[in-house]
Amino acid sequence: MTGREAAARRRALVCVAPTVVALGALTVYPGIWVVWLSLQHRIPIFDVSRFAGFENYAFLAVDPRFWSAARITAVFTLGSVALEVVLGVAAALAIHAQVRGRKVSLSLLLLAWAMPAVVGAKLFEWLYHPSAGVINVALGRHAINWLGDPNVALPAVILADVWRTMPFVAILCYARLLAIPADVYEAAQVDGAGRLATLTRITLPLLGRILLLAILFRTLDALRAFDIMFVLTGGGPAGATETLTIYAYRALFQTLQIGFGSAVSVVVFALVMAVAWAYLRLLRTGTVAA
Amino acid sequence: MSVIGRRSAWALGLMAWLLALGGCGAGHERGPVTLVFKYARILGNADPLPELLRAFEAAHPDVRVKGEALPWASDDQHQFYVINLEGRSPGFDVMMLDCIWVPEFARAGWLLDLTSQLAPDELAPYFPSAVASATYNGRVWALPWNFNVGLLYYRADLLTKYGLRPPETFEEMIDQVRRIRAGERDPALNGYVWQGKQYEGLVVNVLEAFWANGTTVMEDDGKVFPDPARAADALKFLRGLITMGVSPAWTTAADEELSRRAFGDGHAIFLRNWPYAMDLFEGQGSAVRGKVAFASLPGRARGAPGVGSTGGAHLGVSARSRYPELALALARHLTSERAQRAIALGAALSPTRQALYRDPELVRERPAMPRLEALALAGRPRPVIPYYLLLSATVQPEFSAALVGVKSPERAIADADARLAYFLQAVR
Repeated sequence: MTGREAAARRRALVCVAPTVVALGALTVYPGIWVVWLSLQHRIPIFDVSRFAGFENYAFLAVDPRFWSAARITAVFTLGSVALEVVLGVAAALAIHAQVRGRKVSLSLLLLAWAMPAVVGAKLFEWLYHPSAGVINVALGRHAINWLGDPNVALPAVILADVWRTMPFVAILCYARLLAIPADVYEAAQVDGAGRLATLTRITLPLLGRILLLAILFRTLDALRAFDIMFVLTGGGPAGATETLTIYAYRALFQTLQIGFGSAVSVVVFALVMAVAWAYLRLLRTGTVAA
Repeated sequence: MSVIGRRSAWALGLMAWLLALGGCGAGHERGPVTLVFKYARILGNADPLPELLRAFEAAHPDVRVKGEALPWASDDQHQFYVINLEGRSPGFDVMMLDCIWVPEFARAGWLLDLTSQLAPDELAPYFPSAVASATYNGRVWALPWNFNVGLLYYRADLLTKYGLRPPETFEEMIDQVRRIRAGERDPALNGYVWQGKQYEGLVVNVLEAFWANGTTVMEDDGKVFPDPARAADALKFLRGLITMGVSPAWTTAADEELSRRAFGDGHAIFLRNWPYAMDLFEGQGSAVRGKVAFASLPGRARGAPGVGSTGGAHLGVSARSRYPELALALARHLTSERAQRAIALGAALSPTRQALYRDPELVRERPAMPRLEALALAGRPRPVIPYYLLLSATVQPEFSAALVGVKSPERAIADADARLAYFLQAVR
């Protein structure tokens, strides 16, 4: 190694150091601490603090409330992300095809996205009101028990989440659509491609990579979703909308079981990491054309 | 930047720093004492709190009181206290507490033990149930501030029309609902609305059903579900109210406000709620103005008479307060007869002092007060235990599952019992 190379290396280390220190202090250290907490029975305000080994995890393994929360988290994530992608792409295509008033459409979309989650949830609380809500008034005699029926509550929560976050997918896709050169479409037209063929052979494949990115962000958000069900149902009825994050919140902040709640958080963390890793691999292999 | 410029910037910074330090020191040593009072804003025609705080300042010339608002939701308030108190923040002196938190905070060492400071008969004027929920391990940790008790509201006009008296048992109430609805032929008229959403209010409603059925959720010796069969029977009865249509299907999503509005809009014959609802029913523009009365919650046929669960807020002094005597004086001032009268007049909160329920000035403004006294006196507190929130959060989804019918009542009780056994062995 020449002297110059060694100097460059040193300088690189110095430049990287702040990032390493910041990440270490803000992410790695708390992460390890939470794993350590999850191996204990720990309820600080009652001076309970003793090593529990894997007892908390063993309890989780057979805890029906935990498995129900895990299943609901999965259904919520799959359901809301799938709907967001379909509706988001459709909205992007619709705006792209619009001749006039694109700015108005975009602003309306952004309005929902810019709204704080709790405000959006409150809005839907009124929409779902059993007797005075707009939806049930319109349904008249066929009114639906939106938030009180364990079979309807989760779809109702998903719908509220989709309304708020679909614009994120729509705007990312719209930006990509703008970047597709017009001559690609002109060439397709010359070759005699119909509207459907243009959509499936050109537009959607070109959207692929940005869509995958949007799905990655939305999946990670959906796995950690909290506000929407916290405001609308508090996790009920019968725990039908209780996700892992709500379960962790109840254990950590409401009943102050720091050890047990940390065990739930570690599971959420592992889940999010696994999903992120899988998506990143998918993105890197480049199986999807850009 | 020139060298001189940089140097003067440093000097400016240093000066600002010293000034800030000096400012802090002066505040500690010489300036007037500042007490911080944490409370949830009181809704009503007029918030009486600012004036009460000014009155305290007038009586203590070198004390300033800063009233600081808590978050709106009870869960958020609890979280705020836990984070700040566990983090040893000395940020406040007097705290408004939901009565169910008192034993928890006392056991955690966050509250000042008031027992030795109180005169022997100082707590005698308060409702026994309010004092019970401020007492833990035989010591008193807070002063009762405002009081709540579960009541049965009913449409007096409808009952009179059909020649009925307020029901003493639930069985009687079901019968009355059938008769009135058969006569009224109004499909929008519900029978009995109450709180069945998965939250603290559900636990209160189920607990009242347990009591009426001669059992409870936890005995004084700490035994959980002492009589599971009776507990399951009470849950089955509540579920039955929904399946037979006496209570609407949306009961399983109903909190206090949702059920209060349905009744207040004239869409229900009976309602279980707290005393605050009466003022709203009697308010300008209310659809049920002059048509509402309240009675004791019904009991069960061949069971105990109905008893309402009590609730309300207490005032505690932070164990980290730097001025414990002054803080206690402020808590005393705010719970005094004069202050509680002002609060009852300005807001829809009920006093914890019994004598006020016969106070001529108050009775003139709120004619239902004397009737409320007997019901408040009969009320029972929820279990006064430091891990009440753990108990409540654990049973909520189980009770809700029984109400919506995804679990049998027996199964729900058994599951709740098993979960509690695991969590309670860690804290006991």
